[in-house]
Amino acid sequence: MFDGLIDGYTQSILIFTGISVIAAYSFFAPFKTGQVSLGQAGFMAVGGYASAVLTQKFGLPFAAALPVAGLIAGVVGVVVGFPALRIKGIYLLLLTLGFGEIISVIALSWDYVGGAQGYRNIPFNPRTLDYVIGIVIVLVIFFGRLERSSLGRAMDSIHQDETAAEVMGIDVVRIKLLAFGLGAMIAGIAGALYAHQATYVDSTTFNIMLAVEILTFVVVGGGSTYWGPLVGAAVLSYLPEFLRALREWLELLPVAATNFFPMNRVYDFLHGFLDFENAKRLIVYGIILILMMIVRPDGLLTRDTIPRLPFARWKARHA
Amino acid sequence: MPEPCLAIESLSKRFGGFYALNDLRMEVARGHIHALIGPNGAGKTTFFNLVTGVLAADRGQITFEGEIVADARPSRRTLRGIARTFQNIRLFPHLTVLQTVMIGEHCRSYPSMWKALASAVLQRPFGEAREEGRMRDNALDLLAFFGLADKCDAKATDLPYGDQRKLEMARALATQPRLLLLDEPAAGMNPHETHELDELITRVRDRGVTIVLVEHDMRLVMDISDRITVLNFGTKIADGSPEEIQRNPAVIEAYLGEDVPL
Repeated sequence: MFDGLIDGYTQSILIFTGISVIAAYSFFAPFKTGQVSLGQAGFMAVGGYASAVLTQKFGLPFAAALPVAGLIAGVVGVVVGFPALRIKGIYLLLLTLGFGEIISVIALSWDYVGGAQGYRNIPFNPRTLDYVIGIVIVLVIFFGRLERSSLGRAMDSIHQDETAAEVMGIDVVRIKLLAFGLGAMIAGIAGALYAHQATYVDSTTFNIMLAVEILTFVVVGGGSTYWGPLVGAAVLSYLPEFLRALREWLELLPVAATNFFPMNRVYDFLHGFLDFENAKRLIVYGIILILMMIVRPDGLLTRDTIPRLPFARWKARHA
Repeated sequence: MPEPCLAIESLSKRFGGFYALNDLRMEVARGHIHALIGPNGAGKTTFFNLVTGVLAADRGQITFEGEIVADARPSRRTLRGIARTFQNIRLFPHLTVLQTVMIGEHCRSYPSMWKALASAVLQRPFGEAREEGRMRDNALDLLAFFGLADKCDAKATDLPYGDQRKLEMARALATQPRLLLLDEPAAGMNPHETHELDELITRVRDRGVTIVLVEHDMRLVMDISDRITVLNFGTKIADGSPEEIQRNPAVIEAYLGEDVPL
């Protein structure tokens, strides 16, 4: 759809930003009921491998494999979610972390999916960008409606005081399970999209670093409103590209200015840390996480900032 | 004798070697305000936790409106018609007053989670589910009943203490209970507010809700209770009308003291 409009490089950036946004929403769904999961990378792996097997070994078209991969990841999510119901906080974090490691060990040792060599020659999907944009729009609409609904309010109440919510007749068990399964399904879809864009996945593709990154997206963007994951994932994924563009712009400055104050070298340094393929950016993410916890522990967007934004004020005036 | 609203048979709960409740038997008649009094640590809040399912009983049987209550989970018991408030107020810190009451309504409006999900997905763009308007009207009625209607957009935890207690009652009533357990509703209220509470609790009872009341304010208890059960160290030491309780020597020794300021 966008072939004529955007060059391949920009497309691939948009695709990976979009997949980050989808992954951020997969974290947001269980988080809405207070469940913090470090297993979203694991669910992405389930979806990615499932879709690779379905298309390559069973000959399914990608359009059919994608929802099936999402469903498989969702079912795995519900299975993992059952023991996760009984535990909270740090223990849930450890359980989901363990799940991610189990998935990665299975991927490493199961020869049917390529084992240590990884899964090669996954059919490339030329229309990934269309899919990504469509799915992001669907997710934003879905979570927006959820936020305005009784079910969304029930989820918020579970997040804030589980016992009180249960005593008020909220079916905490089923709603938490629904949120966890939904998150796993969304993660599976993100993983499938990734697999068919990269055409190669192995046991380290969806690792714990990715899980932490997904968490960072939501912490930075804000976990109390449905715009948070979108903003967090988009900002953090696009930041390196923004810096790159800034660097190119700096090149245009007179040499004397940049020699006097070597701004471009500062940007080179920063950019080296934030590069897409660079593990060093995790250092920056760590620093960002610490700063966010100090400055804005609820994220860039919170339920209190949303009504104060210009657009919301405009909408309220014209409602 | 008509069937009681709540019948308790030899209910026991032990924490380690300590009996919080020991072989409790009691009946709460339908339409009564039944007070449960006793010194701190007598087992009153444990009783509430066992009846609502927050804790599991070691022994004994709870019968609500003729049916044995065996559901493990509190939400199922709420659906049956048992609601409660908390001694240490437990409101949701990020919800408004109105939203807090609507949480109570959720289990009646959406008994099925899938229906709730469908209604969330199928609302019109930038609008809300049809059920939502009805829920809001009900919530506003309840808030008006408690005199909180003008504060419906405030954050629940920003309310003054007395209003928070009332809001807890409103939230519990939103689940449409037939039995309401009130855990120290007057704690932290000034005398004026406590006086108001007298009338509020009586009016709730008149709506057809049976009430079990745990309270330390003896004036309130003696004024509005139809029947009183006295607990001490997890055992029942007396049961009777307010007049009988005030004259009961065991109760005077354990709890009320010689000079009852009534």
